Amino acid sequence: MHWAKQLLLVDRRIIFLLVFLGALIPIIRPIGLGVQISPPVEAVFDAVERLRPGDAILLSFDYGPSDGPELDPMANAILRHCHKKGVKVVGISLFPLGGVDMGIARLNELATELQAQDGTDWVNLGYKDGGQAAMKAMGEDIAAVFPTDVNGVAYRDLPLTRDIRAYRDMKLAISLATSVLGEWWINLVNAQFGIPVAVGTTAVSAPRYYAYMEAQQAIGVIGGMKGASEYEELVERAYPELKGLSRTATMGMDVQSIVHVIIIFFILFGNLMFLLTRRVKEA
Amino acid sequence: MKRQIPILLAIGASLYPVVAFFVPTRGVTRFNQTLDEWMVIIASFALLLGIVSMIQVNLAKVRRRTSGWPFGLIVLVAFAIMAAFGVFGRQGARPDGGLYPFTWVFQFGFSPLQSTMFSVLAFYVASASYRAFRVRNVEATLLLIGALIIMIGRIPLGEMIHPVVPDVAEWIMKFPNTAAQRGVIIGAALGAAAMSIRVMVGIERPYLGKS
Amino acid sequence: MHLQLPGFGEWVAAFLTLCIFSFLYRDNVLYRIAESIFAGISFGYYVGLAKLNTLDPNLFRPLLGDFGAHWSLLIPFALGLLLYVRYIPKLAWISNWSLAVYIGYYIGVNLLQKLHGDILPQARGTMIPLTGGWGAVLGGIIVFVGVVTVLIYFFFSSPHRGPLKPAARLGIYFLMISFGASFGYTVMGRVSLLIGRLTFLVHDWARPLLLSLMGG
Repeated sequence: MHWAKQLLLVDRRIIFLLVFLGALIPIIRPIGLGVQISPPVEAVFDAVERLRPGDAILLSFDYGPSDGPELDPMANAILRHCHKKGVKVVGISLFPLGGVDMGIARLNELATELQAQDGTDWVNLGYKDGGQAAMKAMGEDIAAVFPTDVNGVAYRDLPLTRDIRAYRDMKLAISLATSVLGEWWINLVNAQFGIPVAVGTTAVSAPRYYAYMEAQQAIGVIGGMKGASEYEELVERAYPELKGLSRTATMGMDVQSIVHVIIIFFILFGNLMFLLTRRVKEA
Repeated sequence: MKRQIPILLAIGASLYPVVAFFVPTRGVTRFNQTLDEWMVIIASFALLLGIVSMIQVNLAKVRRRTSGWPFGLIVLVAFAIMAAFGVFGRQGARPDGGLYPFTWVFQFGFSPLQSTMFSVLAFYVASASYRAFRVRNVEATLLLIGALIIMIGRIPLGEMIHPVVPDVAEWIMKFPNTAAQRGVIIGAALGAAAMSIRVMVGIERPYLGKS
Repeated sequence: MHLQLPGFGEWVAAFLTLCIFSFLYRDNVLYRIAESIFAGISFGYYVGLAKLNTLDPNLFRPLLGDFGAHWSLLIPFALGLLLYVRYIPKLAWISNWSLAVYIGYYIGVNLLQKLHGDILPQARGTMIPLTGGWGAVLGGIIVFVGVVTVLIYFFFSSPHRGPLKPAARLGIYFLMISFGASFGYTVMGRVSLLIGRLTFLVHDWARPLLLSLMGG
C-alpha cells in the first residue's frame, strides 16, 4: 500500500511538531488530573513522617540542570515536609556538573517561601570532589570533608551541625541522584555505615532502584516526575496549610499524559503501517 | 622503576581500603580516613585534567584556522570568562540578593543550555518510536507490552481507564523488572569485582597507559 | 496589574534555549554558537567548582592557615600536581605514579562496594522463603527464577546448549520486559525535560513579555 509506505516516511519534523503541541497546550491550559500514590514513594514519605522534631537528615543534591524538572519538585516537597516536621536538613552535593548550584537554588527559594533559617533549619555544605572518597570519609568525620558551608562559615560554627559528627548522628540520608551516585549511597554508605537511605531519581534510572528497594537496601524510591507528583500530593494531604504552593511535578503530569498518549499512538500506528507494507510485499 | 613503582603503588592503594574494612583497628582506620580525605583533593585535580587537552585542541584549531575555528575561539573565550568568575569570585547569592557572576552564568547560561540539549531527546524518542520501534519477534513484543503497560500505568489517564492499571504497572516493576535488574546488578558486579582483582594483583595496569 | 518584563537573565536563557531548539528544524550557525558557549562554560565551571568547593576549603586555606597542623596535605597536593606532568613528554612517566595511587584507591573501594554492597545483599534478597499469601509466593518464585535465568543468559563462557538454552531464553524474556519498562520510564524522563524548558519559556519569558506588552 503506497500510502502506508508514504506515512512511514513522513518528515520527522511533523512528528516533532505534534509532540511540541502536545506538550505546549497543557502547559498553557492545565487539565488538573489526579495523582495516584505508589508504595515506593509512600515508603519515603512515611520514613520522613516518622522522624521527630530536632532529628537531622542528610539531603544530597546529586543532579544537574538537565534533571531539574524531575528532581527539583522532589527537593521542594521534601524540604517543605522536613520544615513542617521540624526536621533539620544537612544539604550537600557530590555531583560535579551543577549539583551545588541546584542545591543553592532550592534551599534559597524554599528559605524565602517557608521563612527557614540557614544554619538552624538547614545548612548547605556545598560540593565536594571524590565521590566515594567523600562518602567514606563522612562516615567518620563530616567536618574533615566539609570544613565550611557554601558561604564559608566553619562547620563547627553552624548551630545545626555542632552535634553532628558523622552519619550515625543523622536518621536518614536522601539522595536526589542522577547516574550512579544514588547507587553509591546504597551500596557504600548504607552497606558500610548502616544509615537508612532513600533515593529520588530520574525516571530513566528508576527501574534499577526497585532491585535495591526489594532487597531492603533502600527504604523507598521516588522515581521521576511521577514520583515527585506523588510526594507533592502526600505532603499536601498531610499538611493542608501548604495548599497553594507550587506543584510543578503535578502540573507536569498533565503534559506527560498527553505526550504519552501521542507516543503510544506513534508506536502502534507505526507498527500497523509496517505490518500493512509487509503484507503488500508478501502478496 | 618506571613500571615497578606504579604497579606497587596501585597494589598498595587498592589493598589498603580492603584491609581497613576487615581490620578496623584504630591506627588502620585513622590512616584510612586520611587516605579518603587525600583522595578528595586528588580527585579535584583529576577532574580538571581534561581541560588541558581541551585548551590544546581548540588553540591549535584557532591558530591553524582549520574548518570551524571561530567556534573553537568561542569555546576558549567562554571557558576563560567562566573560569575567571570561579577562580577570582565567589558562588551563590550576594548579600544584596543578587547572584555572584559565577552562579549567574550557571543559572542563565549553563543551566538552560544543558536542559535544552537534553530536552530535544523527547522529540527524538517520539520519532524513533514511530520509525524504528518494530514488533518483529517475541522479544520485541515483550518489550512493547512492558513499555505500553508502564507508559499507561504511570500517568493519571491509566487510573481513569481502570483502577487496576497502575497496580499492574507496579507489579511489573516489583517482580519481573526487579528480577531482571537484579540479575544485571549481580552480573555487572561480578565482572567489576573480577576486573578490580586483576588490577589489585597487577595483571591489568590501566595507569601505565601506552607505556 | 503591572507586570514586569522578563529580566536580562531570562532573556539570555530564552535566547539560548531557542538557539538549541532551532536544531530541530535544521543545523544552523546559532545552534553551533550556543553549543560552543555550552562547551566553554562547562569547562570553566569545573575550574571554578574545584577551586571554590574543594581546593580552597580543603587544601589551600588549611595549608596557609595552619601549616604545622596540616603539612601532610602537601602529599595529595604533590600527587595532584604530578597528574599534570603527563603533558611534558619527557617527564610523563612520573604522572603514572600519581595515576596509580588514584586508580588503585578507587579499584579497592569499588571491589568492596560490589561484593559487600551489591552481590551479597542482592543474592540475599533473592533467596527468601516462599511464605505468605499466594501473591507473595508467586512473586518470590518469579524473582528467583528471573534472577537465575538472567545470570545464566549472561554466562557466555560456555555455549547455551541443553538445559541452558531454554533457561537463557527465559532470561532474555525477563530482560525484555524490564527493558520495556525502562523504555516507558525513559519516555517519561525525556518528556519531563521538555516540560521543564517549555514551562520556562511560557511562564518565565513569553507570558510576562506578552502580558506586559498588552497590558503594561
